[in-house]
Amino acid sequence: MTTKLRIAYQRFTSCGGCQLTLLNCERELPLVEKFFDIAEFPILCSNNDSDCFLDVALAEGSISSVEDLQRLLALRRRARFLLAVGACALSGGVNALAHDRELLLADIDGAETLRVETFPAQPIANFVQVDGEIPGCPPEGSDYLRFLGVLQQGGLPGEYAVPVCMECRLRENRCLLIDGKLPCLGPVTRGGCLARCPSYGAICEGCRGAVPEANFAEHFQLLLQTGLTATEVRGRLERFMGRNDEGY
Amino acid sequence: MKVISIEPLTRVEGHGRVDLHVQDGRLQRVQLALLEAPRLFEGLVRGRSFVEIPALVCRICSICSAVHRIAAATAIENALQLTIPPLAVKVRELLLLGGHIESHALHLFCLIYPDLRAAESILILLAKGDTSLKSGLELKRLGNRIQEVAGGRAIHPINIEVGGIVASPQPPALHALLAEIETMQGQLEGMLDPFKKGLYPPAAPVIAPRLTVAISGEFSLQGNTLSLPDGRILPADAYAGLLKERSLPWSNAKTPATEIFFTGALARQEAHHKQQGRDYAPGVAGIHANNVAQADEIIWALERSRTLIHDILAMTGAEVGSMPVTTGVAGSGTSVIEAPRGILIHHYVLDDRGQIAAADIVTPTAINQRAIEAQLLADLQETPEGELDAAAQRIVRAFDPCISCAVHILKV
Repeated sequence: MTTKLRIAYQRFTSCGGCQLTLLNCERELPLVEKFFDIAEFPILCSNNDSDCFLDVALAEGSISSVEDLQRLLALRRRARFLLAVGACALSGGVNALAHDRELLLADIDGAETLRVETFPAQPIANFVQVDGEIPGCPPEGSDYLRFLGVLQQGGLPGEYAVPVCMECRLRENRCLLIDGKLPCLGPVTRGGCLARCPSYGAICEGCRGAVPEANFAEHFQLLLQTGLTATEVRGRLERFMGRNDEGY
Repeated sequence: MKVISIEPLTRVEGHGRVDLHVQDGRLQRVQLALLEAPRLFEGLVRGRSFVEIPALVCRICSICSAVHRIAAATAIENALQLTIPPLAVKVRELLLLGGHIESHALHLFCLIYPDLRAAESILILLAKGDTSLKSGLELKRLGNRIQEVAGGRAIHPINIEVGGIVASPQPPALHALLAEIETMQGQLEGMLDPFKKGLYPPAAPVIAPRLTVAISGEFSLQGNTLSLPDGRILPADAYAGLLKERSLPWSNAKTPATEIFFTGALARQEAHHKQQGRDYAPGVAGIHANNVAQADEIIWALERSRTLIHDILAMTGAEVGSMPVTTGVAGSGTSVIEAPRGILIHHYVLDDRGQIAAADIVTPTAINQRAIEAQLLADLQETPEGELDAAAQRIVRAFDPCISCAVHILKV
């Protein structure tokens, strides 16, 4: 039997939903334990080794404080592969929507007491090399299992470039955008979720980020036709696509 | 004065630290620092359409995402003076219950249970094939299954929007869920017993006075009023004057300035039984009774879920899930709701275009912050220094804190 890959899970500025998604793989957790040596996972373990060499580091969350950044740099130095997990790690996520940060922080009750030095939330790739991505807010459990499985076999998964829209078609759902006149982001969003939300009847909010070659200019116009104002459309595209423009 | 710092707190949600100030061999002062970087949610929602808010603010926390989403929708509906249809009320309650079951099972079996087995994590116990843990994980999974059926997704559920729900769960999915719940109910005997034994050292009683959402008639997790320790009942929007949240120099979460409150499963179970005219006797000393209360609440929530699914299935299928929403009048609205770890309050001010002018969110762990400090101070008085770290972590854990939720610092 090959030796177990040593992995660590660290969270930065986030809601914790990506690590919870991994913990939500209740029936697969024994397998994860069997094939991986989990050296560090503070929500799950009291015995965390914060110095050891790692085969794989999983990093959830955006970087928004000096403490975050120091911890990220240390994690990167220890790891052969570093995976950015979830929307916050990939784009800054909803944390990046706090514009006018200086103005907001000036509004803090006793701002002089804030003990951490903070800055606008940023994706992990702004600071370190990222070797793999697990998208989503939150990711699907299957995203983790696929990734861990490929790693265990000695590889890294390839890029997945299929839009949610395609997966939605495969499931033969009624189109929420064209038939329902609802502001669905399926056509511009990276799939892999098997069109979870549209299949339930809810619009895709783009939580897995932009699919390669997404036509934002065209989609902006389609979204306007659902009755949203241009400001509202920009707000929706901004949430997980990291852009606040009209697509040109 | 010597300061013993315990950082990071492990097997809790989020980044936190406890500072124990010891002088002449005696614990003098305890400070709990909640250290997540602030994400400024109350600021980032300003100027956005009310339609966007439930989906944005549920990202405050993953474990509590369903309850945040419902709290936001309800507060905005209150601001718009909107009453949601009966179908939506039932589906939302089912989603809430699924969230409580998942959160409690996660807390009890993944975070607390290793303490009871003298293990550092469930990983060791998984490798040993611990059967009690295995059944606990199935219980956790069932909580997620309920959230998936009622909410479309276990974390950041998509079915809740202002006005009601997006889609009614499909009858085949409800029937399947019902069968899973009934199977689980048949296996509950003994499953939660590990948490009902007094394995912990004797501890002080839970010090802080209880704060709960006031319940009338049938016990539920939602209401419009707050129940105070002195018996007073206050309307939801009186929360700001009651709590007068202020920031603490050592923490990134605000906390009540007026008095110490305890909120959570134990407070709820006590209130629930008081209403039935019975005492609640968890049989375990101190704050660890909170974990017994969580176990009891899981049993209650499973049965209540079963009832709700029957209610939803009994509907004709023609009921609407949501009400049309119109704006045009400025207003403000507040909601109070029981999250798994205690009272959650959302408050929004809307302008006449339906944009958020101001927002305030008070989370259970922010409320409990001072209660946790007080409990640590009382419980650790006789603890030898070598055991302080483990004992302090056990006490903090028993409160089931959620630090991601708690960090809110904007002045409102």
